[in-house]
Amino acid sequence: MSTNTQVSNELPLPAAKPRIKKKNPYIDIWYRLLKNKLAVVSLGVLVLLVLTALLADVIAPYPANEQNLTNILQAPNALHWLGTDAYGRDILSRIIYGSRISLQVGFVAVTFSVTLGGIIGAIAGFYGGSTDNILMRFMDILLAIPGILLAIAIVNVLGPGLVNVMIAVGIASLPTYARIVRASVLSIRDQEFVEASRAIGESNFSIIRRNVLPNCLAPIIVQATLGVAWAILSAAGLSFIGLGLQPPTPEWGAMLSEGRQYIYEAYWVTTFPGIAIALVVLALNIFGDGLRDAMDPRLKQ
Amino acid sequence: MKEVLIEVKDLSVQYTSEGKEIKAVNNISFQVNKGETLGIVGETGAGKTTTALAIMRLIQTPPGKIRNGSVQFDGKDLLQEKESVLRKVRGNKISMIFQDPMTSLNPVYTVGDQIAEVIWLHEKVSKTEARKKAGSILELVGIPAERGSEYPHEFSGGMKQRVGIAIALACNPQLLIADEPTTALDVTIQAQVLRLMTNLKEKLNTSMILITHDLGVVSEVCDKVAIMYAGEIVEYGTLEEIFRNPSHPYTQGLFNSIPNMNKKVRRLTPIVGLMPDPTEIPSGCSFHPRCPKAMKECKSMKPGNIQLNGEHKVSCHLFDETVVRGRVETNEPSTP
Repeated sequence: MSTNTQVSNELPLPAAKPRIKKKNPYIDIWYRLLKNKLAVVSLGVLVLLVLTALLADVIAPYPANEQNLTNILQAPNALHWLGTDAYGRDILSRIIYGSRISLQVGFVAVTFSVTLGGIIGAIAGFYGGSTDNILMRFMDILLAIPGILLAIAIVNVLGPGLVNVMIAVGIASLPTYARIVRASVLSIRDQEFVEASRAIGESNFSIIRRNVLPNCLAPIIVQATLGVAWAILSAAGLSFIGLGLQPPTPEWGAMLSEGRQYIYEAYWVTTFPGIAIALVVLALNIFGDGLRDAMDPRLKQ
Repeated sequence: MKEVLIEVKDLSVQYTSEGKEIKAVNNISFQVNKGETLGIVGETGAGKTTTALAIMRLIQTPPGKIRNGSVQFDGKDLLQEKESVLRKVRGNKISMIFQDPMTSLNPVYTVGDQIAEVIWLHEKVSKTEARKKAGSILELVGIPAERGSEYPHEFSGGMKQRVGIAIALACNPQLLIADEPTTALDVTIQAQVLRLMTNLKEKLNTSMILITHDLGVVSEVCDKVAIMYAGEIVEYGTLEEIFRNPSHPYTQGLFNSIPNMNKKVRRLTPIVGLMPDPTEIPSGCSFHPRCPKAMKECKSMKPGNIQLNGEHKVSCHLFDETVVRGRVETNEPSTP
């Protein structure tokens, strides 16, 4: 009997050797993204930003903290393209160095909260019931406190500093990701192809990883790019009120804060860091939208 | 006598919805021999899909629950085994073709990858080999292997169902459960898909459980037929027995409601009434409120399984000699 069941006639496969090319889906996404002009422009801005951050030492005309007290609050000129601040520091150089911090805060905080929030949301959505209830009520508690206020509270407890700002911003945006992932998982969980993958013998973990999460990737990615923007803004906000990075670190929010006393006499001290923040946040938002359109295979032409 | 591949005994499944218990499947038993095709026929809500899912233990719990019964397959009772054992059976020894090919494929992976996935899950091969084999299987179901690198939305409905068949057959299963595989397809494609399924089934000597409400499909594909009504099998027999000699009034009703090419009629003859609400299945024979031949006993007594001849079984009082004789003795006119 048992030997009998072992006898499996092999599939009578065609003699030809057809191959399925392994097609990298990201190449497709890339081409679709390139068709979106606005997204390409914002991607350019972001690439520029990353390059600026990486090459800050090379391209910055002055060291970030070099004071020149004979040259304070100079308007933009040939030597100092974006002017100088109240200590005679070159604003362009400080913005260039500041991009490092903004990028770090943005990406680390978002990676942290997407990972943790995603895991929480996926577990809550997939298993449902009391697991879902406990996890999501905990997220609701976090959500009940406005994000920036929560971040302020956390930084207050942990103390100012780069790492603490990242943790604070990350925790503050945790519930957003958990909720988005949970909602997507709920809508995917009962689809027939999830049942089909159970019918081919996949485990729960593999179903979440291979079937559920990839199908809710689009909203997560969009939210994550927007989240980077929010994290940069929050970090700048924290620094602005003196809870984030401490002077003389060249941080965009802190620069705004330092310059606000001279806003009538020297607009450039606040304007240029402000423009830097606005530009990066705008570029991230547009890029996030473009990415969403490109990543959804159902929108493919 | 042919070797029995799978034996389902006294299977009962119920769902709980808003505090009410819905008895979807009640004490059904059947078996499928090697290489045979069993057709399960019934109206919507008769419990056909639930039966199929219960065999693979894919019923969502909650709300569903397998109350009792056993599914003997390969020397094991699938209803008692651990989840990890079942995972090795699903897709490998028993696999399933789903009703709607539009939604049963994962939209974010190429179809080749989805076929390769099953192979990779159950056979010890590298991913490249699995992908290569997936290409061959695609060719087998009549799709050029190059199209394996396309996404499901780039295929038509019939082709998607072929992909579904390819996934189901990828590991050369012993039992194929096809849950209304042609319902979502148009008629010409239905014929193609059915032909493909029967051809492959014969080539691979796979047994099949075909769930459908289309008696035409059954007559073309099946060896055995089980007619389901309100979660019970009311009649069971070989294709010949059922089609030549439909015995249960419900089966007769089903056949009568098919339009006949040779007779011109203004109206079809449907079975009066609707399927009972599964929360309130009628007492006695669940079909009695709609049955044109209902007797007094039908209301109070549940009919047993009565063996007619060969493998033909029917669950109806009309064939129960003790009931019929009882009526004659009390001089009551029976109304068959």
